[in-house]
Amino acid sequence: MMKKIISTLKFIPILILSVKLAVAATLPNDLVWQTNTTSLEWGSADAQKGGLLRLNISSFPPTLRTVGPDSNNSFRSFLLDNQMSLVDMHPNSGEVIPMLASHWAYDKDGKTVYYKIKKNARWSDGLPVTADDFLFALEFNRSKDIVAPWYNKHFSEEITDVVKFDSHTLAIVGARIKPKKDLHYYYSLQPRAKHFHKLNQQWVSAFNWKIEPNTGPYKITKIRKGKSIKFKRKFDWWAQDEQFIRNRFNVDNVLIKVVRDPNTAFKYFERGELDVFNLTLPKLWHEKANGPMFQKGFIHKLSFYNQVEQGASGLFLNLDNQLLQDINVRKAIAHGLNFDKIIQQLLRNDYQRLPRFHTGYGKYSNDKVNPLGFDLKQAGAYLDAAGWNNKDQRGIRVKDKNRLSFTISYGNKLHEPQIIVLAEEAKKAGIELKPQYLESTSFYKNVIEKKHDIAWLGWSTGFRPAYWQHFHSDNAHKPQTNNVTNLSDAIIDRLINQYRESSKEQERILLAQELESKIAAQVVFIPSTMVPFTRSGFWRWLKLPENIATKSSQSLFNPFHPTQGGLFWIDAKSKIDSLSAKRSGKGFKTSTIINSDFKVIAP
Amino acid sequence: MHVSSIQRQERPQGPWQKFKRLKRGYFSFVFLCLLILTSCFAELLFNSKAIMVQYQGELYWPIFSSTLEGKQFGLEYEYETNYRQLKKMWAEDNNDPSNFVLLPLVPFNATEVDLEDGFYPPQPPSALSQHYLGTDTIGRDVLVRLVYGFRIAIFFAITLLIVEYFFGVLVGCFMGFLGGAFDLFFQRIIEIWSNIPFLYIVMIMSSLITPGFWSLVFIMALFGWMSMTWYMRSASYKEANRDYVLAAKMMGASNFRIIYKHIIPNSISTIITFIPFSVAGGITALTALDFLSFGLPAPAPSWGELLRQGVDNLDSPWIISSVVISLSFVLMLVTFIGEAIREVFDPKHKIYYE
Repeated sequence: MMKKIISTLKFIPILILSVKLAVAATLPNDLVWQTNTTSLEWGSADAQKGGLLRLNISSFPPTLRTVGPDSNNSFRSFLLDNQMSLVDMHPNSGEVIPMLASHWAYDKDGKTVYYKIKKNARWSDGLPVTADDFLFALEFNRSKDIVAPWYNKHFSEEITDVVKFDSHTLAIVGARIKPKKDLHYYYSLQPRAKHFHKLNQQWVSAFNWKIEPNTGPYKITKIRKGKSIKFKRKFDWWAQDEQFIRNRFNVDNVLIKVVRDPNTAFKYFERGELDVFNLTLPKLWHEKANGPMFQKGFIHKLSFYNQVEQGASGLFLNLDNQLLQDINVRKAIAHGLNFDKIIQQLLRNDYQRLPRFHTGYGKYSNDKVNPLGFDLKQAGAYLDAAGWNNKDQRGIRVKDKNRLSFTISYGNKLHEPQIIVLAEEAKKAGIELKPQYLESTSFYKNVIEKKHDIAWLGWSTGFRPAYWQHFHSDNAHKPQTNNVTNLSDAIIDRLINQYRESSKEQERILLAQELESKIAAQVVFIPSTMVPFTRSGFWRWLKLPENIATKSSQSLFNPFHPTQGGLFWIDAKSKIDSLSAKRSGKGFKTSTIINSDFKVIAP
Repeated sequence: MHVSSIQRQERPQGPWQKFKRLKRGYFSFVFLCLLILTSCFAELLFNSKAIMVQYQGELYWPIFSSTLEGKQFGLEYEYETNYRQLKKMWAEDNNDPSNFVLLPLVPFNATEVDLEDGFYPPQPPSALSQHYLGTDTIGRDVLVRLVYGFRIAIFFAITLLIVEYFFGVLVGCFMGFLGGAFDLFFQRIIEIWSNIPFLYIVMIMSSLITPGFWSLVFIMALFGWMSMTWYMRSASYKEANRDYVLAAKMMGASNFRIIYKHIIPNSISTIITFIPFSVAGGITALTALDFLSFGLPAPAPSWGELLRQGVDNLDSPWIISSVVISLSFVLMLVTFIGEAIREVFDPKHKIYYE
């Protein structure tokens, strides 16, 4: 009996929704439908179809779901990249380009976008993609059954509604007014196959290993648990001749192998059991990637400068710490950090100093804002001004029995060398920085609860600068929010509010620039380094287009990404030649290319 | 007759005399003691600070004084003097020939990063750069980190041993001596406690708190005190029924007094025999935890951390070989000592035939 009541109750919200739809589902008459057929394509006409690409990941995914517990793993991007959005951004010009939708139109209210879904869009099981799949996607993302609180919150608070007009026309209604182009990003929604999912309390466990239908170029065909996952190209893929997609996604099969240890993975690569290997780490690029296979020209090396949003990584100073409340102390710390030494002597001049919190956001970035450099005299002057005039036995500054000492917490062992060098150098300024490694989850907890003095971390990037979550007083002095510096400043608050409420692009750009310099002046965030390029080693049978990659490419051999991925192909003849040359001990010309087409020259 | 002649040949000996005669164990012991003693004065031999500086006729003792800034010696900076540079500078261009710097044997400290443009760490061993065992991946001297790491490891093992044995011996003796409900109760407690997977607990604990020397001793002692209880229980169980214990009891000695004055001294051989093996255990446990990065926080010098670096950088063999050789060597010394002690207290030597 009880069960029945619950199940009837469950139907009520759906009923309400459908009633609402029946009333609201008429399109406004004054819509101006837009599309884009003029932007340049970036796939190469020389591309050949066929072949197998072998990649590696460090651990087998704990689930094939893309939401819910354990889903945020490194494998998820392979699945998500095979799910297309309604529209996307051109990887070179940033213009809106059609993907699942052929046309789009903006409502006068400034927060609604209408879309026409392409009639030929199909799920991997052959069924058409319809507006109902988007309605279902909203219901799905709001459902408690997927056990994903962030999704529940985001899709309830940010996207107010999805409205269906007919089977292939819909509108997405956002919560706030945004500039037109930004609406696509802030209120994007990927469809979920309505005919596939059954939402109930068992969803999380029942759909752990089910292969979800997708709209992208590849689908999973073989899973060897703990060992590998194989993707196969859809030979009758609906989008393969579409503009902006043709001549891409050329490889027939993509095998993703699990190799736990990076050193072992590199050995596999050198033996030709993996086709590509990321060589971003300086040690790999400069030292390890010089073996006989590289010398004989079997493996090529390619470094490609890109222009992507740079994650804000560096030191976050917690203003809840008494000593850090003094801006002179913060400035002294910034002047006491020798990033030049790290970049020159540890990172081999490959990396660059990150200039500010938001870098690589086009016009939104304020190029005039640069970090305070290593300068012991300045650091000393600021400390003197703040009353830290004396030094203790070890040369650390003291004031009223307080030592100028801070813990610097970090959650990734990879960064330890840099932190240790910084701490050693900071001693020269009379500042003690005590490295504190915390296992990544407890590090995250420590920071998000704001118990740190100084935290070494990086934030992922977004489409536009995001100030409210990181610097608004709404999020200061509260656990579980992203304002980890606890900055609360009335002027900055006011600017952030204006920035969030503005729907005019030019105004937002000016506000973003002003905010960037105001925030930098507070010295609560000290930027560390950035990697303005991507570089890989690859076996010579892999071919890339003439332009190599796009301005926003984060990887040269991404097999699936809707805009950056699938540019390469495998030259079957070259593979046969190479393998027979390898057997007979012959070689080819060594190849190391550094492409700087998109390199930003530092001011 | 025959037996007594043997007895005459073997003069009655104390355990120390017996131990001295077992050359392998004895020399291992002497050598290990020397190593520990040297490591206690490591600051004098392995340090970036100079032992002595003479500048403008005045003597300075940087190791024993507080930080001496560069301007003290006519340099421009206001942070700690780089004595290697100072020495080099004065060697090249010395206005005052009485100025000199006396550097320690290896002029680096354990956390100091020695980087140079164009030479990326790790650097191979070189007498010229005075990195006799090369540098690690951050550019710190491997030899110096080995020495300071040894000091931490050996004192960690000894401290751990004292704490563990104190509780282990106490509880064990009481179990054996008192018997009955107390014995039964603690037997069960220890059985349950021993079944808790120690490594997981340490991992969980050190992910919650940043472990330090004493907190690691505490955590490891918490799960390590049980091993001694069983041996001490059976030893005191046996002794409890001896006449001298009964006599002490009759004279009104308290339980504590009986255990500390009578039972423990009479079962000391059990304790001493286990000590070297516990020391070896302590060293390996700390090294293992550091290897898995659940041990002492960076930048503390540690063998486990060096081992980790060595494994990750097999193409820089000086890191892995230095630490593996040192670790095996120290463990070998400790094991030789342990074998010798066991030999000394071997009950077979105490049996006399009449």
